[in-house]
Amino acid sequence: MFKISNATGGYGKTTIIRDVSLEVGAGEIVALLGRNGVGKSTLMRYVTAEIPNWEGRVELDNALLPDTTFGRARAGLGYVPQGRFVFPRMSVIENIAVAAATNGHKPKQAVEHAMEWFPMLKSKAAALAGGLSGGQQQVLALARALAMKPKVLLLDEPTEGVQPSIIDEMAGILLKIREESGIAILVAEQDLDFCLSIASRAYVMERGAVRLAVDREELRQNKELQQELLGV
Amino acid sequence: MDYLFAVLLSSLSSASILLIATIGLAVVFGLMGVINLAHGEFIMFGAYAALTATQQGVPFILSIPIAVLLTMIFGALVEILIIRRLYGRMFDTMLATWGLSLALYQCAVIIFGTVSPGIGMPQMSIAIGEYSLAVYPLLMIVVAASMLIGVYYLLTKSVYGMKARAAIQVPHMARAIGINSSNTNTLTFAIGCGLAGFAGAVLLPIVPATPSMGFAFVIKSFLIVVVAGPVTLAGSALSAIGMGGGASVISSFMTSVAGDIFFFALTLLLLRFYPLGISSRWRFKL
Repeated sequence: MFKISNATGGYGKTTIIRDVSLEVGAGEIVALLGRNGVGKSTLMRYVTAEIPNWEGRVELDNALLPDTTFGRARAGLGYVPQGRFVFPRMSVIENIAVAAATNGHKPKQAVEHAMEWFPMLKSKAAALAGGLSGGQQQVLALARALAMKPKVLLLDEPTEGVQPSIIDEMAGILLKIREESGIAILVAEQDLDFCLSIASRAYVMERGAVRLAVDREELRQNKELQQELLGV
Repeated sequence: MDYLFAVLLSSLSSASILLIATIGLAVVFGLMGVINLAHGEFIMFGAYAALTATQQGVPFILSIPIAVLLTMIFGALVEILIIRRLYGRMFDTMLATWGLSLALYQCAVIIFGTVSPGIGMPQMSIAIGEYSLAVYPLLMIVVAASMLIGVYYLLTKSVYGMKARAAIQVPHMARAIGINSSNTNTLTFAIGCGLAGFAGAVLLPIVPATPSMGFAFVIKSFLIVVVAGPVTLAGSALSAIGMGGGASVISSFMTSVAGDIFFFALTLLLLRFYPLGISSRWRFKL
């Protein structure tokens, strides 16, 4: 359903990702693992067309995605970047509403839905997003991406700087949303437990390329690989 | 008593005229962080557009939307050719728009000459005791208030307003949720220019179109926006009424020079006590 083939890209003249191919099926949650600096975030930015495409293609439902970042978003690509990037001088409600309205969904319903999924946002609904804590901003960034009703959701380090109780909550909600809407999720992570709790399989990246693909059981049992990924 | 009332009313109308001329600048500065020193020339553009339309036989009231539209189109071109290359570089933008302002002034001199015919003010007046006030300038109080409410509503409640703010706050993230940031920014700048064009057109019966009319407005408008601070729209309304209205009261009792001295002295004083603008601790968004 969602397919990246031979992705090659980077910054300036430096190639960061080389010939990356992977696939995520409908209703599937797939993890993208690897240590810092292997190119996970760059792959995400390649997919959202934030960096130029040197080679390769990104397809959704067997159709090539448009060339622009906003075109890809409207075609059904949701993205929660590392660092969240909420709109700081807009309220929590506006952050969610603008994402829904831009993609032709009713803002009011989207906000209601988001508040159901993430009750912790309720008490902050009218507050400016820039004043929220890191964890709250992360949840808001996720709620904003979901308000687009994407077909594919890219999550870049969603647990970074987030307290454990919220991480568990996020995992539960992602599983529920996957169930309800059949969304495909690709999540780049360092937190192995989080990945094992939601993803059915994983790609392991190394020096800008996919080194191997494993399923959850394999990952759970392969202590050697785990240690390598955790860097211990 | 009647005299005092008449002075207050006409001062409020002068303040409203100043506010009408300022709102476009406030929108562009507040939303995009761009100080458009050619703002006065966009007002002039609107004034000449309306004047030319009425000379072609278009009724004055219809010449206003024509002027707004033409100024918006011109503003969009300026954004695409100049402004969008300079976002986040405030001083470069000021320099570029100042240059644009000089060029537009010269163009107007070449095309229209330095004097141009005014259009007659709609001849109606109301009597307050033994004083008689022209209706049209008083109408500007209503125009300024509706303009303020309309722009506030557009920018805070409408979907466009949310997109515009998102696109300027975090452009790459706005794109990632499907907003075409560069088109949105072009539209925002064009709206700011359209508001300037509206000012030029609607004020035409009061302030005749001349090539140098922009200079007269831009200095005071600019100071009002600076004094207003971060909550640009509401702040500009308050500082326009306080500074513009105050100056107008002073000039009716003394001379217009005294009024101007009051305006600039008050600016200095306010900036001395509120270096970030009077609205720096307010809590609304615009």
